[in-house]
Amino acid sequence: MKLRTLTAAGLAAALLALAGCGGDSDDPGSQGPVDLRMTIWSANAKHTALFDQIAAAYKKDHPEVGKITFESIPMENYTTTLTTQIGGGNVPDLAWILESSAPDFVTSGALAPIDKDPDLLPSTTTNWEQDGQLFAYPFSTSPMGVFVNTDLVTAAGRQTPAQQVAAGTWTWEQAAATGAAVQQKSGKGGIVVGDFDFKGWDTLTAVWGGWGARPWSEDGKTCEFDKPEMVDAMTFIHKMAFTDKAMPGPGVTSDFYAGDAAMVLTQISRAALLEKAKFKWDLVPLPTGPKGEYAVVGQAGIGVLKRGEHVDAAKDFLKFFSNQENSAKLAQFFPPPRKSQLTTATLAKANPLLKPAQLQSVVINGIESGVIKSSHTGYAEVQQTVRAALDPLWQPNADVQKVLTEVCAKINPLLSK
Amino acid sequence: MLVYGVLLVCLIPFVFPTWWMATTSLKPVNEIFAFPPSLWPRSATLDAYRQVFELQPFGRQYVNSLYIALLVTVGTLVVSSLAGYAFARIRFRGSGLVFMVVLAGLLVPSEVTIIPLYRMFDGLGLVDTHWPLILIPILGAPSVLATFIMRQFFITLPKELEEAGRVDGLGRLGLFWQVALPLARPAIGAVSIFTFLHSWNLYLEPIVFLSSKDKFTIPQALTQYVDAYGGALWNVQLAAATLSALPVLIVFVLAQRQFVEGLAQTGLKG
Amino acid sequence: MTLLVRERVEVAGPPPDRPPFWTMRRRDELAGWLFVAPQLAGIIAFVLVPLGLVVWYSLHEWSVLADTFDYVGLGNYSALADDPRLGPALRATGLFSLGLVVLNLSLALFLAVLLNQKLRGTVVFRTLFFSPVVVTLVAWTIVWGFLLQDNGGINGFLELLGIDGPNWLRGDATAMISVIVVQLFKNVGLNMVLFLAALQGVPAELYEAARIDGASAWARFRRITVPLISPTILLTSILTVVGSLQVFAQIAVLTQGGPGTSTTVLIYYLYQQAFQFHHFGYGATISLLLFVIVLALTALQWRMRRKLSFYED
Repeated sequence: MKLRTLTAAGLAAALLALAGCGGDSDDPGSQGPVDLRMTIWSANAKHTALFDQIAAAYKKDHPEVGKITFESIPMENYTTTLTTQIGGGNVPDLAWILESSAPDFVTSGALAPIDKDPDLLPSTTTNWEQDGQLFAYPFSTSPMGVFVNTDLVTAAGRQTPAQQVAAGTWTWEQAAATGAAVQQKSGKGGIVVGDFDFKGWDTLTAVWGGWGARPWSEDGKTCEFDKPEMVDAMTFIHKMAFTDKAMPGPGVTSDFYAGDAAMVLTQISRAALLEKAKFKWDLVPLPTGPKGEYAVVGQAGIGVLKRGEHVDAAKDFLKFFSNQENSAKLAQFFPPPRKSQLTTATLAKANPLLKPAQLQSVVINGIESGVIKSSHTGYAEVQQTVRAALDPLWQPNADVQKVLTEVCAKINPLLSK
Repeated sequence: MLVYGVLLVCLIPFVFPTWWMATTSLKPVNEIFAFPPSLWPRSATLDAYRQVFELQPFGRQYVNSLYIALLVTVGTLVVSSLAGYAFARIRFRGSGLVFMVVLAGLLVPSEVTIIPLYRMFDGLGLVDTHWPLILIPILGAPSVLATFIMRQFFITLPKELEEAGRVDGLGRLGLFWQVALPLARPAIGAVSIFTFLHSWNLYLEPIVFLSSKDKFTIPQALTQYVDAYGGALWNVQLAAATLSALPVLIVFVLAQRQFVEGLAQTGLKG
Repeated sequence: MTLLVRERVEVAGPPPDRPPFWTMRRRDELAGWLFVAPQLAGIIAFVLVPLGLVVWYSLHEWSVLADTFDYVGLGNYSALADDPRLGPALRATGLFSLGLVVLNLSLALFLAVLLNQKLRGTVVFRTLFFSPVVVTLVAWTIVWGFLLQDNGGINGFLELLGIDGPNWLRGDATAMISVIVVQLFKNVGLNMVLFLAALQGVPAELYEAARIDGASAWARFRRITVPLISPTILLTSILTVVGSLQVFAQIAVLTQGGPGTSTTVLIYYLYQQAFQFHHFGYGATISLLLFVIVLALTALQWRMRRKLSFYED
């Protein structure tokens, strides 16, 4: 009998051990070296090499810091994965944050306040502040521009956008005409709005800015999709895609960087993809719309999570990461928010593929005066709801006004929360 | 003749995608969306395959999927054959109730329990390790089907065999190990296949539990072949997909007799 | 260990007026419990406890970023009842499951009947029909996604035949059809093999007798084949129905629930609420709804076995 009991007890113990063993749970807090973890969405080897360099320099002066890891989470569901980690209790010390989810992170109290360097441009920090305190460092403010495949454009018998910019005729009408001409002549795609694919509607900010349209009011409480400005902008986009064929239609893949499209509207950091391009290309600012010139920027911030294990150490590292010296190094890949570094000289060092004129007109002007891409609290839900509601628009015979009214009907309850 | 014709036509959607996957992975990028589509690469290149290994630690990820699937298969066989045998052959008080409780596992989808399980494993410090991917399938819902199959099989064993074993002086463990199990080859085969494939194909669990690239499993890795800005690298994805599917397919073709007949004899007939 | 105990009993011998404690019956009981212990412990730890926790979460509003976990009683449940997106999700789920199960079972049975003939090469066909089952799920989905593009392989071949193929993944109805088809061809081989095994268990004499009596092929099928393989039909239909409610990867990879909400089946809606919008409490509520539906459908089908299954009486 004793033997049986012992066996039963042994089995139970084995099961418990099996369930419990395997990972050493980390020593919380004070004892041992402080390890820091920053979640990022970049998978670029050059980026991570630079971050590791900066981390190594920091550790030299801070022996109490052990490992600093940069954990790369795929961009596609970056915010989802980050929030799941936090929800599961696996909170990183620092995290990159997309401008679209800035309101969620800032207003929820998930981030710890950090010092604000006076060198930072006010236009870059508004999204990341609350009650006068700064909650994330806007390490990348990336303006949107238009990359042009000049070979395709001239082959289609059109003036290049650069020529039109000089002549003051670089408008959306002209851009659409060029796109249509290229499509007709070569069968390749016309204007591609980067990352749009008829799903990611917030990339259309690069277009509707020209009509002075906005998705919702400044305070974020009222839907403005059904306002005349947005209706006009969407009608134009619909025409480009379905009538003029100036834009590839839904489900059609045209890769600009492989030479299959005339133009692409995207962030200037994508210039890196053109390193091996086999065609002549140019970078110009966004075309002017009926409401005149406009610029659009995307942003990314780095925040310290209040529920991380080493908040003070994380804050200190962030300060170092974002100081003058390192900011200049990061400017290689991420346009900096610092007044002192927004010069063509600094940027040219970092973006060897772009010419000073391009840098001035697109990057500097963009950062100083650009509209930031849309953001809102509860962004994931708002974005998904708008996306589903906009789907009927991407059919040849869509009623633009009707669809947009329906969009507002669906998101007004979410916006007013 | 007509029957052959019908069968051949039916075969197309089953076989064509796999064929397409393998041949397109050898095409250069500009040929992938070419029109008219080509059944055979016009200029074959192994470029995509090279990139598969360059962009991610694919070899490592392959090994991850493989060893996890093997561990899960062996573990599940142990747990399910013991439990299945007990339900089928041993009369013990409460067995009916326990069986109902265990069957409940079949009805609860993994998406329902994933959040509490994540918190559980995080509390044990086992997030971003392979332990959740090993323990949950062995002990949890996925192994219940295996237990069910083993039970169905053991029920069909003639009682005389066990009585003979008793006469020879075998206790329960002996009966299980020396009499029942050796006869259970078809069921073991079927369970191994099901379990291996289930583990090999796990998608939601790795996405939730794993965050380091070198710990990823294949299904997870397959969707990661995107350029630095999220655009799909079609040829690389297809190459990786082919690499993941081909070995299993080859093993299957060589052993298809055992596969299929094991399944057929599982007693799922009723 | 068994031997040890038995030896003790034999050597020491119980006193004649007291029966041994460890009777065969008792040892069997213990063995039974020990054998099922791992599985039982696993189900309790990994299924029942989480299920309980899910119920607990559903009674709260859990805001991850703000780190609040507030009791809201049945608030989530009433929100679910009033949710305008629930109706479309249930409809999409119903369409998907019904379409899949009907197509799956009929195609599996059809192929099994075809392969049951004494023809040469059926083994080759059987292997080929089964092959998608072993192809990695995500790989299979990626290839189909690629073929279903507007300028992809399927439309390419249709155009060679002079047909202008629709934009499969971008139309409400065609997207649903696409998702059903992708899942159908992936798994129907499994059911086909099970039906084939069942068919081979039907005695040939029955068909002979029926043919002599002048019964048509259809009558033979309806009156002999179907009733005799009804247990298999029942079991595979339960498994297919339950499986169809859990199809996730295909929708996540191919349509992300779109266009609009036409392919947002319940499990995908659950994923959106819990993992994309981070409403974990609400997501828990939806997952309980899903569980109840699975339970109800399974119970329903199990009860119907008396009516449908030939052998139950």
